[in-house]
Parts: sequence; structure tokens; C-alpha cells
Amino acid sequence: MIEIVTLLLFLSVMQAAGPAEQQYSLAVKAIAARDNANALGYLEAALTADPDNIRYASDYRQLLIQTKQYDRGTNFFDKLVQAHPQAANAHLNYGFVYVDKIPDSGSITQVILANKALSHFSKAIELKRSWIALYTRGNSYMYWPRIFNRTHLAVADLEEAMKIQKADRTKSYYIRSYISLGDAYWKMDNLEKARSVWREGLTVFPDNPQLKARLAANGDGLKALIDDTYDPNKRVDTNLKELWTEQ
Amino acid sequence: MIRKTVLCAMPLLALVLAGKTIAAWSSEILPLPNGSSRIRFEEIAAKAGVNHLHHTRVFKGLKADVLGMFTAGGASVVIGDYNNDGLEDIFLTDSDEGRSNRLYRNDGNMKFTDVTEAAHIAGGNDSHSIVSDAVWFDYDNDGWKDLLIARFGTPLLYHNEKNGTFKDVTRESGLNTFGNSIAVIVFDYDNDGNLDVLLGNYFKPENLLDLKDPHVLPNDLDNAINGGGVTLYRNNGKGNFTDVTEKAGLSRHTGWTLDMGHGDFNNDGYEDLYLACDYGTDRLFFNNRDGTFRDVTEKAIGFDTKKGMNAEVADYNNDGLLDIYVTNITDEYMKECNMLWHNNGDGTFTDVSKETGTCDTLWGWGAKFGDFDNDGFQDLFAANGLRSAGEENYIPVLLEMIIKPGIDFTDVRNWPEIGNRSWSGFQKKKMFHNLGTQTFREISADAGVDNNRDGRGVAVADLDGDGLLDIFQTNANQQAMLYRNRSEKTGNWVELELIGTKSNRDAIGARVKLQVGTQTLLREVQGGNGYAGQSPARIHIGTGPLTKIALEIRWPSGAVENVTVPVNRLTYIKEGKGAVKPEFGSRLDAAPR
Repeated sequence: MIEIVTLLLFLSVMQAAGPAEQQYSLAVKAIAARDNANALGYLEAALTADPDNIRYASDYRQLLIQTKQYDRGTNFFDKLVQAHPQAANAHLNYGFVYVDKIPDSGSITQVILANKALSHFSKAIELKRSWIALYTRGNSYMYWPRIFNRTHLAVADLEEAMKIQKADRTKSYYIRSYISLGDAYWKMDNLEKARSVWREGLTVFPDNPQLKARLAANGDGLKALIDDTYDPNKRVDTNLKELWTEQ
Repeated sequence: MIRKTVLCAMPLLALVLAGKTIAAWSSEILPLPNGSSRIRFEEIAAKAGVNHLHHTRVFKGLKADVLGMFTAGGASVVIGDYNNDGLEDIFLTDSDEGRSNRLYRNDGNMKFTDVTEAAHIAGGNDSHSIVSDAVWFDYDNDGWKDLLIARFGTPLLYHNEKNGTFKDVTRESGLNTFGNSIAVIVFDYDNDGNLDVLLGNYFKPENLLDLKDPHVLPNDLDNAINGGGVTLYRNNGKGNFTDVTEKAGLSRHTGWTLDMGHGDFNNDGYEDLYLACDYGTDRLFFNNRDGTFRDVTEKAIGFDTKKGMNAEVADYNNDGLLDIYVTNITDEYMKECNMLWHNNGDGTFTDVSKETGTCDTLWGWGAKFGDFDNDGFQDLFAANGLRSAGEENYIPVLLEMIIKPGIDFTDVRNWPEIGNRSWSGFQKKKMFHNLGTQTFREISADAGVDNNRDGRGVAVADLDGDGLLDIFQTNANQQAMLYRNRSEKTGNWVELELIGTKSNRDAIGARVKLQVGTQTLLREVQGGNGYAGQSPARIHIGTGPLTKIALEIRWPSGAVENVTVPVNRLTYIKEGKGAVKPEFGSRLDAAPR
């Protein structure tokens, strides 16, 4: 019964949705007025009209985090990707909803959520091998304890992301790959390669404090630094605005 | 009302050391570099004659392996002076079918004799029941400690016959409700002078040894609500008990209770309750002072999703308020962190485990506070470790089940067999030295207590009467361990045996306060707080360099007394009478040691 009601609501949103940008503008106004309930509706309408829009999806998720309405988000994206199975960014953001929910969840639920997120990140990569999708999946593997043997998968994705960024002009967010790939090598017990990646990152981003901290640390200090980075109980900043604000 | 008036009217007799804080004493009597400690222990179980190997229950039939894994506790230690000779004795539980619990009589000088057979308290592990925990308490106020054994089944109550033997009085006791009880504590919730019994139930009341329905496991691994809750039995004062769980307002709790701690958290003269629950939120209940409790979880501590394993109650920072230490699981994939609930004094608590350095004790079990160097600050010892077996790890196998879409966690048939795999095993125990600065330092290796057995219960007691607290640690499927405190150049101490008259004879719930400048050293007599371990009712306070101690005692009856006691000896104090000679004599004879 609940599913039918949800579906009817979803369809009504679809029917009511005007041009995506118009809905997005209404959402921005609603957010400014702290009218979260209406803002979520407008953003859903905008995404329904333009399902692959990464900006709408990212803003939508930030609002879900604020209001802790993660289940609304998973329900919405579930229907969105069913209606638009080729929308890579919809899959990507579907995965991010699960990531967003992790800090508010118990330790075992965290594992379940992380695994669900991975499946959607993989779908996004399958549809479009973008830097953001590869980096996201690679970085998410880093949160899995060594015992699950997923770090080599992190290395593979992050190396792919690195190839993409090296073929592009430098963008501020590319620093992330240097940090995560170095961390992945460290986690694979290859400290030399880790340091090499961090050093290379510093040549591109000379003042980056995270790279400097890693290169300055050793032994338990370095372990503490990296463990802290991938603490599942800490919220990961999944706001993707850098992607469209970067000039 | 009268009680409250008496409490408020009684002046607090404080001993002020010319502005010196306890931290200042510590630096005077324990001047060690780099914050290291003098705390040292020696493991002497075999030498002392305590050879106890615990056996977890081996199940038969459907998913026996998985049920065995879920019930891999039952190694309990309860310490109390059953024969009134002044020396604390040790009772240890076993769990496999036909296996005997053991009673070790303390013969003095750290020598113990197994008197189980003569005492007639070996039983409990039959084809329908599994022994899980126990508690000493004088339920009939006759001055002799009786024994209650908790089981996955019905409890057992043994009456102390005052001659070294016990009589099974379960049938007439009214303690006859079946439950999968994993923990038991005793306290006087209605302050009527009789000790009541609270059983913590893990599974719902389904007989695991004759499983009809395989849907017995947690319905959610972080927010389960299909556990056994608790059962509260009121002591009628006539040798029998009545189940008052519903009447007391505790029946709506249906979590997987793993441990309970009682204490007067809001200083109103009545005992409150903390329930540590596996697979979901812990619960805090305040006593309404009318025979009922109210659930204050949301406001006081908030809801959590952790695996609560232990509820220990003590004032860790000498502010005169009881705090709560809860162990959780912090292992390869569950990064929960423990909870040290700092009592804010306004009905709320703040978790300061990270700030104090007591967050990580790996796969937690029993943990107990005790002032191991008598410097006036309570230190902390924590057992840990689930299952030490083969090299292969169970976690990845378990993960495959957990992430399966739509999996029914409640169905025992869905859980993978563990076989010879290890799961959070071979973990080093943790000892935290209280630095007196709201922080602790982990010293287990230096202190000599960093064994890697699969720990369960912990009890802290001065077993040899030397004024230093010793530690007993039980282990699942492994030999129990007795750590004799060998610390040197420690502070002075007082030990108090409180004897209730209007209050319950064991004085459980009585609180003792020693005021030193701005600091309040608070101890409350406990009835089995902490997982699978009961420390004695005897109060121990490290007093540093102090030589004359003025104490305030608040009895459960509400009466308040002020007494002055000498240091470095055991003093018997009877409600309304002050210091007295031990009624039954004492091998310690209250003499200076």
C-alpha cells in the first residue's frame, strides 16, 4: 500500500515537473527561505526532468543530509534510475545517498550501506568512466578494513582516475586522487610508492597540507592520520560543487 | 519526605587537607617519571589453587555451531564471603552440559580450596539449561550470603545453611519464569530493606536447547528489538519473590540485554538502572521512588546502535556523581568505541571515552573500576576478545551473509558456520591508570595484565587482605586468571564492611563519601554490576597519605551517619551503630595489616 502511494506521489511529481531549471530555481528560493520540505520536492522535480544533472542531485542530497531523510532519497533515486537506467550521474548520486547515511548508522548497517553504495558506483562507471565515478568508487574501497581485501580495487580505480586527470588541465579537486592513491599504496604496505604519489601530488599542489602531513609522518603517526581519514563514523563531504565551480 | 529532610539536614563532615587536591597527593606519594605507574600484577591462579577451565555449551541439532557462537559467554566470577570468616571467596560458573560450577574457599594468604561438592552448588547445567551468571546476596537478611544462579532457563536460588553448605530453595522462591538470562544483579529498588533481583535476558524466551522456531536471532544487527529484555523480581521479605517487571515499567524494553548496572545516578536516594544491550540502544531508567521506573534514555544519553557489553558504575573523576562505563565493540570492522558516560548532574550524561582515552578495548566484555595503587583515583581493567581459534577469520564469511539483499537475520539457518575460524580473538587486555586529570593512560603491558585470552567476567577484590585490590578474570573455554596486586609504595586505604539493619543486610546501594578539599571520593555498594562478574560488597577506598578518615555513609534506608575510621584496615560498620566488631569473628580480625 505504501509503495503504491509512493509511486503515485512520484508520478504526480513527474507530471507536475516543469522545465528542470525552473524547478531548480524554485528549489534555490525555497532553500534560501529555509523551506526544506518544498525545496526537496522542487529538486526531485528538477531531477525527474533532468536525471543526469549532477548539480541537482548533489544539492538534493545535501538537503537530505540536513533533514536526515535518507530513505526518501534512496526511494527517489531507486525510481529515478528505473525510469532512466542510462543516467550515470543518477546512479552515482544514488550510491552517495547510502554513503551520506553511513555516519548516522550502526557499525553493521554501515557495512551494508557501503556495499550498496559500491554497487551503484559500479553501475555509474559501467555507464560512463568519468573521473568522478572512478575516484568515488576507488576512494570508497579505502573505507573497507584490510581484512576484506578491497584495497587493490581502490588502487585500480584511483590509477584510472589519475590517468584521466593527467590528460586534462589541472583542476583543484584532482588533489584528491593523489591523496587517496597514496593512501591506498600505504594500505597495501607499499610505503615507497605511497610517498612517491604524495610527492608527485605536491609538485602539482605545492601547498597542500594533507600531502605535507603524510610526507612528514611515519609509523604509528602516519597510520593514525590515514585511519582518521577513513573513519566510517565521520561524515564524508559528498558535496560535488567543486565539479561545477572549478574554473 | 522525612528521608529527604534528613539527608539535607545532615552536615557533610569533610576532611580538608589545607587546599591540597588528591592529584597533589598522587605526585607526592607516587613520583614517577613520564606518567608511568607503580601498578603491577602477578598471575597466580594455579599457585593459589584456582584451576578453573570454563566450557561454553555445545549445542546439538540445527545450526548448533551458530547457537554456540551466540551463547559463548557464561564464564562468570562472583566474589563474596560466604562463610563469614572475613576472607572473600570465589564462585565460578561453567556452561556446558553436566559441567560443574566451582566454589573456592579462601584459606588466607592467597590459597584457595575447592569446596564445591561439600557446598552442594555445582549444578545448573542440564539438558534444558545453561548457566550464565551468578550473584551473592543475603536475600533473607540472616547475615549469610546466599547464591543466585542465572541461566538460559530458570534461575536457581541456593540458601546458605550457615555451615558451609547450601540448600536449593528455588521451588519455593517464586523465581520460576523461563528466560534466556545472561546477567543478574541484585539491589533494593523500593528501599524496603529486602534485596530484589533483576535478570537481563538476551534472547526472547525460547528454549534454545529444544529449538522449535529458527527465528531467534536479532532482527536487526544495530537496532534489534526482539530480545529478552529484563525480568524484575521483587523480594517479598518472606523468602519468596514476585515478578513485577510490568508493574515496574520495565516490560516495554525488548532489547538484547547483556548487562545491567544499578546506582543512584541522580542522588535522590533510590537506585536507578542502566541496561547495556547488544545489537542496539542501551537504556537508562530512573527510579520514580514509587516502585516504578521511567525510561529517560532519549534525554539522558540518546539512542545508540552499538553492541553494549558491560555496565560498570563508579565515580571516575571524584565529583560525587556516579558515572557509567560501557564496553562496546571496536574491532577490524566495527569501530564503535566504548562509552564513558560522565554524569552531568542534571539528569544527562556525556560520553567522554575518547577524551579520557578509554574508548578502545577491542571486542569488549567485563570491565571494572578499582583504585589499584590507592592514590584516590579509580583505575580501570577491561577484558576483551571473542574467539581465539584457527588462522582463518570469520569476519569475511559473515560479511557475505550480512550484505545479502533481503537476508533474514533472525533465522539461525542463514548464519554461516564458524568452524575453527577466529573472530576478534587473541586480544590484549586493557588496563587504564587514572591520572587524576580526567584522563587515563593504558598500562596493561607494564602492569602485567596484557594476556590475550578470550576474557569475559571481571571481579576486583582484596583477596589477601593486604589493602591492594586484586583482579579475577574469567575466560570462555579457557583457564580463569587470578592477578595478585604486587604494587609497591602505594597509598593508604580503608576497607569497609557495611551491615544494614533497617536497610538490606548487605547494604547494597549504601554510599560512602570522603570529602577531600573540592574532591568527593564516592563509593556505592554494588550487587553485581558489570558483565559476568561481581566484586564484593566490601568498600575499598585508596586514601593516599591520609591517616585518619572521616566518612559520610548514606544507607538505603535514608539514614546518614558520619564515622571516622583508621586507615589500612578493614572496619565493620553497622547501620545506626557505627564501627562494630564482626558478628561472626573474622580471620582478618579487623587488625592492622
